[in-house]
Amino acid sequence: MMQFFQETHIDFLRVRKYAMSFSAGLILLGIVSLLLKGGPRYGVDFLGGTEINVHFQQQHNTAEVRGALSQLGYGEAEIKQFGSASDFLIRVQQQQGQGTQVSDNILEALRKVFPSDELTVRSIESVGPKIGQELRTNAIFAVLISLGLLLIYISIRFEFIFAVGAIIALFHDVMVTLSFFSLFNLEISLAVVAAFLTLVGYSLNDTIVVMDRIRENNRLLRRENRDIKHIINLSINQTLARTILTSLTTFIVVVVLFFFGGEVIHNFAFCMLVGIIAGSYSTIYIAAPVVVEWYKKHEVQKIKRSPVAVR
Amino acid sequence: MRRNNTVRIVIIVAAITWALYQLYPTFMSTRLKNQASTHQIKIAQISGLPTDEINHALAQGLLEQKIREKLKDNPEALAPAVAETQKLTALDDRIANYENRAIQRGLDLQGGSYLVYEVDLPKLARDLAKNEDARFEELVRAIEAKSAQPNADFLKILREHFAANQVRLSRYWGNRSQTDVQIVDDIRKSAKDAVDRNLEILRNRIDQFGVSEPSITKQGDLRVVIELAGITDVSRAKNIIGKTARLEFKLLKEPEMINDVITKINGVMKKEMAAKRGDSLLTQIPVDTTQLASADSARVRNEKEVSVDELFPGSSLTGASQSDSAGKDSTLMVDQEVFKENPFSSLLGALGGDLGVPAKNYRAVERILNDPEVQEVIPKEAMFAWSNKTEPIADAEYYRLYLVKKDADLTGTYLVNADANIGSSNVGPQGEWQVNMEFNNEGAKIFGIVTGSNVNKRLAILLDDKVVTAPNINERIPSGRAVISGNMDADEAKDLGIVLRAGALQAPMHVIEERTVGPSLGRDSIEKGQTSALIGFALVILFMAIYYKLSGVIADFALLLNLTLTMAVLALLGATLTLPGVAGLILTIGMAVDANVLIFERIREELRAGKTVSAAIDQGYTRAFWTIFDANISNLLTALVLYQFGTGPIRGFAVTLSIGILASMFTAIVVTRVIFDWMTSRRKLATLSI
Repeated sequence: MMQFFQETHIDFLRVRKYAMSFSAGLILLGIVSLLLKGGPRYGVDFLGGTEINVHFQQQHNTAEVRGALSQLGYGEAEIKQFGSASDFLIRVQQQQGQGTQVSDNILEALRKVFPSDELTVRSIESVGPKIGQELRTNAIFAVLISLGLLLIYISIRFEFIFAVGAIIALFHDVMVTLSFFSLFNLEISLAVVAAFLTLVGYSLNDTIVVMDRIRENNRLLRRENRDIKHIINLSINQTLARTILTSLTTFIVVVVLFFFGGEVIHNFAFCMLVGIIAGSYSTIYIAAPVVVEWYKKHEVQKIKRSPVAVR
Repeated sequence: MRRNNTVRIVIIVAAITWALYQLYPTFMSTRLKNQASTHQIKIAQISGLPTDEINHALAQGLLEQKIREKLKDNPEALAPAVAETQKLTALDDRIANYENRAIQRGLDLQGGSYLVYEVDLPKLARDLAKNEDARFEELVRAIEAKSAQPNADFLKILREHFAANQVRLSRYWGNRSQTDVQIVDDIRKSAKDAVDRNLEILRNRIDQFGVSEPSITKQGDLRVVIELAGITDVSRAKNIIGKTARLEFKLLKEPEMINDVITKINGVMKKEMAAKRGDSLLTQIPVDTTQLASADSARVRNEKEVSVDELFPGSSLTGASQSDSAGKDSTLMVDQEVFKENPFSSLLGALGGDLGVPAKNYRAVERILNDPEVQEVIPKEAMFAWSNKTEPIADAEYYRLYLVKKDADLTGTYLVNADANIGSSNVGPQGEWQVNMEFNNEGAKIFGIVTGSNVNKRLAILLDDKVVTAPNINERIPSGRAVISGNMDADEAKDLGIVLRAGALQAPMHVIEERTVGPSLGRDSIEKGQTSALIGFALVILFMAIYYKLSGVIADFALLLNLTLTMAVLALLGATLTLPGVAGLILTIGMAVDANVLIFERIREELRAGKTVSAAIDQGYTRAFWTIFDANISNLLTALVLYQFGTGPIRGFAVTLSIGILASMFTAIVVTRVIFDWMTSRRKLATLSI
């Protein structure tokens, strides 16, 4: 039997206070960064505006491209060269009521200024300010509703405080990842939102697996009157092999995507890299301690028997 | 413990068979498409036609004809090109056969355009209004400015703003007996109706443009989503789709009236400038009035451009003009001699017998014409109309400015046909592209009367309020045929033909969201995505096999089956696979692996505790079941909510995730269990390869 771990007896909860301070520090750092930068860096999806990704046959520099655009009054456009000297990303903050003509205007201007060069449009994204606002509201709305449903489901299947712990853990993961996005100055687009959802799903899965073990151990050890800390530590240790194996396999896939997946997937993969680590960590050091602290406060030493019997 | 697995095995075999059957079209269409693209490249090489055009012609069934036409002077190239074309056409038919049962790739994976159009309510409301006057302009403009905010409801703002200013809506819309609420409801209803009719018209236009498998759907009441796969020239497509294409014929006003109006406008401007400044005209032309904002700038000789800042340091021009960042007039062309006496005339020039306006002065002139006081001096039955494009004269580009009748003499509703061709003998300039139009009987009658009673006058042809051409009426035209000509290239003429044939949109629409992925990026992201996903997947499979040995191989089989089933359900639902959808698949794989890891770790625990193999398997599955169940159901809940409330890309994620979760519960729990049971039932296993 190939095994990375023999039976472990690590007292995970002993360092929970340090771990929680560490998390809090990380999130605080992220919040400071967010505040300094005036919120997350939204992509055109959420901000409204036009983003064009063009490829030239010849090489040009940013100043030439800016020159071409400033004739149109788009002098303040964000122009980035990426990859080679012939790939450009042009972004214009949308003015009210201009529709999506901006992209046509820009392409026309570029073709006029570089007549001898062949220009390929790699992508255009143009979102009216109204739509941007709508997408943002919709995304937030969807996330809030699903969190609410999770709270109900976990409360029914486990206990209310478990649900609270799970949701705080999810919140922690999203905040940590958001902090990393802000620190590395990465952009939040709709695809990244999908990545956030994926990481929430992953983290949730992880948390439920451990909670399930806690529920089971509690049933088994109820008579022995063991305290909650012991039960939780035991459960985490028993599921440790599984936690690491699953994280590892998912990690492998995401690492490959991160390095070889191409530009479109890059930010998505980054989000997952952070998310997988945060997701496993938060189960042990956020969700579990929440339950422990709550029990200590209420001086209940035992977890109530869960409503659904486990055979 | 012996379980009866016959039923389970039958179900599993049936599921596998069904999945393979569902995926066969996808497999075939992918393979055929690869073949087709090699033929397409060859045709492009031989004939020199751009791939876009090849695709359009192919979609319309005109490819061979087109190739023959293109290569008629080159018999050597013709034969192979035609042979390739026939192969491509045959392949195209076969692809079409499989295509609708295959999994569609999203535009982000194959390249194409996603466009969301919304009814332009402000424009529609204007179109529906009658008896518009200066007061109306003032009110509506204020509302338009307000409703540009996100989440603003134009009609609600319209009602409230009119009420606040104590103007009843019935003064401009509907009839006197209607309340404001009724009128707003009517406008909203006509917008909804218009969207339904627009759908048909748009479908018609896009079909004629030649895009294979366009998707045109309604979103909500006022929006239309258009997905065009594989097109490369988005600007042209947008031109065809978004054009309202309202065709109108209007008689030009007599030159005397034009001169008279210009004189009056000069008077108004002088008065305004004097009243607001009093000082030297030169330095203090309007700064605060938006209408004349830019007119303050230039000063110098004719044809010379002067920047605003250079002349008037410190003038806060920019604040005055709100909505036109795309071309702030920092300079104007003004004739200095004329300016003092006739400020408006100084902005104009002459272009043949028409008024010419340098492109640089366009906005300034437009603002002047929209000034309420200037509107007052324009006769009620007349209006100014711009030419639809500029003409180069000397170094500068000029627009023409016409004074036309306000009410159309004839409209495009009577049109029965419109075709682009190259002008021949009697109609239109020779050798230039033009569009021939044909009216129905009623239209022909009206056209005959209008032309008959206005011989030697000029008739402007307007498309969406812009003058395309304004020819002289030489004689009565009884045939009901008319020609639009004027500086069009082949594409423009063809596109105009398409929009005129398909008819005018019932309400103006504009693009509010556009996502275009060029074919090269689409191909890139597919290739990179596919390779990396395959590598990642292979690594996971390998890892499982090494770590769990035979059991790992069983889990790997379940994993493959899970992917196959998920894809098969996607094919069944006719779903589209997008990048976020792929993300959902990755999470699914993660969860399916996790389910098996959970079970196997549990079995190992039981084995360590000294249980027999079959007891350990039994316990392992039973204990892990509720864990897997709870984790999967929680994720399923989230996915369903996301599907219900999310938009586009998020929905794609939710769909694949939901299907994947259900499939993984089946494969990871049921399928692997059956295999284990089958292994243990044959002989008593002393050890388990896990």
